[in-house]
Amino acid sequence: MMTSPRIHLFASTLAIVVLAVVAVLLAGSISAASERILTVFFISLIGVAGIGIYSGNSGILTFGHLSFMAIGAYAASILTLPAPMKAATLPNLPGWLAATQLGLVPATLVAVLLTAVFAAISGWAVKRLEGSAAVIATLGLLIIVHGVIIGWRDVTRGAQSFFGVPRETGVWTAAIGVVLALVIARLYRDSVSGLRLRAGREDPIAAGAVGIRVPRERLIAWVLSAAVMALAGALLAHFLGAFSAKKFYFVDTFLLLAMLIVGGMTTVTGAITGAVVITVVTELLRRLESGFSVGGLEIPPVLGTAQIGIGLIILFAMFRKADGLAGLKEWEERVFRASLPRPASARGPAIAEPEEEEGQIPLRAENLTMRFGGLTAVSHVSLEVGPGEIVGLIGPNGSGKTTCLNMLSGVLVPSEGTIRRGDMDLTGLSAPQFAEMGIARTFQNIRLFSDLTVYQNVLVAALSTRRGHRARPRAYSALERLGLLDKAGEDAGTLSYGDQRRVEIARALACQPSILFLDEPAAGMNREETEDLMSRLRGLASDMGIGILLVDHDLHLINKLCARIIVLNEGHLIAEGKPEEIRNNPAVIEAYLGRAGAVEAETGTEIETGR
Amino acid sequence: MKMLMSSAALAMALVAPAAAETLVIGVATAQTGALAPFDAPVMEGVRLAVDEINAAGGIGGNTKIELIEKDVRSDAAQTSIAAQELVDQNVSVLILPCDADPALAAIGIVASAEIPAISTCASSPTLPEIGGDYMFANFPGDNVQATVSASWAFDQGHRSAYIVYSPDTQYTTMPLYFEEVFTKLGGTMSGRDTYTIGQQDFSAIATRIAALDPQPDVVMTSAYEPDFPSFLKALRAAGVESQVIGSDGIDSPTTFSLGAAAEGLVFTTAGHATEESPLAAFNARYEARYGKPPETIFNAVGYDLIKVLEAAVLAAGSTDAKALRDAIANLEGVQGATSVITYKGTNGMPIREVALVRVSNGERELIAQLMPDAALIPAPRMQ
Repeated sequence: MMTSPRIHLFASTLAIVVLAVVAVLLAGSISAASERILTVFFISLIGVAGIGIYSGNSGILTFGHLSFMAIGAYAASILTLPAPMKAATLPNLPGWLAATQLGLVPATLVAVLLTAVFAAISGWAVKRLEGSAAVIATLGLLIIVHGVIIGWRDVTRGAQSFFGVPRETGVWTAAIGVVLALVIARLYRDSVSGLRLRAGREDPIAAGAVGIRVPRERLIAWVLSAAVMALAGALLAHFLGAFSAKKFYFVDTFLLLAMLIVGGMTTVTGAITGAVVITVVTELLRRLESGFSVGGLEIPPVLGTAQIGIGLIILFAMFRKADGLAGLKEWEERVFRASLPRPASARGPAIAEPEEEEGQIPLRAENLTMRFGGLTAVSHVSLEVGPGEIVGLIGPNGSGKTTCLNMLSGVLVPSEGTIRRGDMDLTGLSAPQFAEMGIARTFQNIRLFSDLTVYQNVLVAALSTRRGHRARPRAYSALERLGLLDKAGEDAGTLSYGDQRRVEIARALACQPSILFLDEPAAGMNREETEDLMSRLRGLASDMGIGILLVDHDLHLINKLCARIIVLNEGHLIAEGKPEEIRNNPAVIEAYLGRAGAVEAETGTEIETGR
Repeated sequence: MKMLMSSAALAMALVAPAAAETLVIGVATAQTGALAPFDAPVMEGVRLAVDEINAAGGIGGNTKIELIEKDVRSDAAQTSIAAQELVDQNVSVLILPCDADPALAAIGIVASAEIPAISTCASSPTLPEIGGDYMFANFPGDNVQATVSASWAFDQGHRSAYIVYSPDTQYTTMPLYFEEVFTKLGGTMSGRDTYTIGQQDFSAIATRIAALDPQPDVVMTSAYEPDFPSFLKALRAAGVESQVIGSDGIDSPTTFSLGAAAEGLVFTTAGHATEESPLAAFNARYEARYGKPPETIFNAVGYDLIKVLEAAVLAAGSTDAKALRDAIANLEGVQGATSVITYKGTNGMPIREVALVRVSNGERELIAQLMPDAALIPAPRMQ
């Protein structure tokens, strides 16, 4: 299932096919040499698209993907190498392999499958790593695979060149390959898995909270991108006819990454742009490399001009356009600004209501304790949130409110205590599992998927919870409830602070929760916006029966909304009760105002508002 | 009279294109990377020969030579790309890098374009065997060199040998040919070791050899820079006194600057400049052109290559690629700078003399320059 309007995918696919065909016809009309340059360009572009599928969507730079290209190249070549050539150059090959001789297409298919299997195994190790650990792991993969190729002489000829491969990759073959690779990359970007992975790239914690299992999506992208790299490798091997392990090492890794980074990692438009720019510049510089003369001035040959030139382009691109020349959007996303259609099934108010049975069961936490090393942030806190009630959770800064929410939503595993929902023990489950159990949340410091649109922010949550059932109507209904329909097409990161808060609530709502945690939802809102939010929150509780646990410093808001308030101080639950009871509770007053304030409060002053 | 003049003009017009004919040579060699120490000096010799021929009016006085050069960075894939680009530019003949592996990277292109190709100095006899009809070498084969050094060692009374080779390239497996000849002659092997190209540390191998009792009479390797100097120093530091035998890969200034460690070292190479020999004459012309004496035999090997092509153009009477291929395959007794060169009757691996050289007081001393006993030469095989 695709998450973007059909017009985008259609326009993109059409453009890719037309561009490829026009390029081939154009090159064919110039010379055989330009056809070859185009073939190399196409193969590089397949590689760039392959790396982009993983790096662009996951946000993790990879240095390891040339190893998949190598596996694809060697596997396909061993299969297509004529048997007499095999007998001469690889005498120690196992008999069945020595006797095999396939055509380019079946050999490429086998190579792609084999590489995908290898990627599934290596991806299992890489998928859980974050940030630079993941990058270093990919670098390790490159070095390990290179080492194995060098060492496995009987099959790969080691460091010697592998030659005699039938040169069957013509410009049309490469064109078919590149169309395939680019369309796969484009479709994956807007597939459910691609959208989830991009959400994970923007904010892994928020992604977890809306039910996305980021490592799983990383693994999918990793395997798919490896398969595309294998295609590039197989085609390259059958274009060159001869290659060695060096071809799939640092120099070419650098070249493909340069294309991807200069063009823009996150889009197919960027991959194409970068590949064109780098190819044109390299071809120009390569001609200058052997020396030239300008107006009688002889410029001596400088070897490595091309590499230096690419380095400078990267520096320039990073300096002026850090997201790459094409930016963060596909061209068709800029041209066709799609309006949000009202889903046919979205009529009627009941659409985002929680599932019947689950909605009747309260969430109970008992004895929750969280220790970070020697520091006890939360100590033996028990609380309950029932259906349809709005519970306030207040306390001075550092009293453990957010830590409590993190434990109740699976972001942190409590050191002690249990979280139960009826017969279900939720203690120790992951954030995505909490989301699946109907528990959704927002964050104190807004965690939106900034580079995704408002609609995508909400849709990805709907797609990743409740098995993605009726995701579009749920997303639409959530936006409608928060009054965000007119902002659906805008990038979440460009909205005002108040709007961003509302998007976060809509996103949580799209998970179809029965329990909702809101961490300072009104922070940064003006009085009007706060009033508006309050009525919307009341609606959620009364119309839909959602139980809300509300953390805020705005005691005015808390007092007006909550039937029951829980007060934390220094990790301990110090009071619980109706708003008026809390207002007059000496322990609460002391916690907020200190001892002097407590004395004052006894003489009649009430805590009215924290603002 | 008028008619005579016009027919003369016509005749001249017919001759003119032939007079303006050019032999376009595509040069795809390694000017950077691991093979540059060989291909760079080869190209100096090539340019010297081309300039001499062109200054004299061209081959046979009418065919100028034009070089189109590309650097392949000692890389197989780059060689394939460069060879294809040169074929696109309609060259008549291709010059390929010094090692069999990158040279073989171009076989598909060479064979389908039907353009003859010569490797600058690859010595693996499997090169023309696998490369087919259009692939030629320009150096004494590994099997021929090994036969010369093994026969010499046996004649000197050496009876036990230890070989150190690397399966990384065809060339570095030359010691396996040495073993074949040496044992056929009646010698015995004390052992064999493998290394990786670029390994740097050879102390483990040196220690293993030093621990042998009795010590091997001969240690043979075809390692070259930077491996060979490290190996030799490690060997001498471990106290091994055995005769060390190397191959043409160490025919470089480095070898002669190693001091005591290299003293007495013997290696095979493509030629030696005795007085009044063609090589001595070449060396003088080289010095006049470049302002320094040649430091390696590979300068002269480059000169040989152009001499072979010159002879082929003369024999073929044209610069047509297919005609050139047939002409090269039938060349006999071409006088090069290093040796007399014959392709006739071979599969593309030329018959040429091997020089056996000893390092003596840091200078080169010729032991012998010869063609070995053909019956002893091992058959080429992929190692």
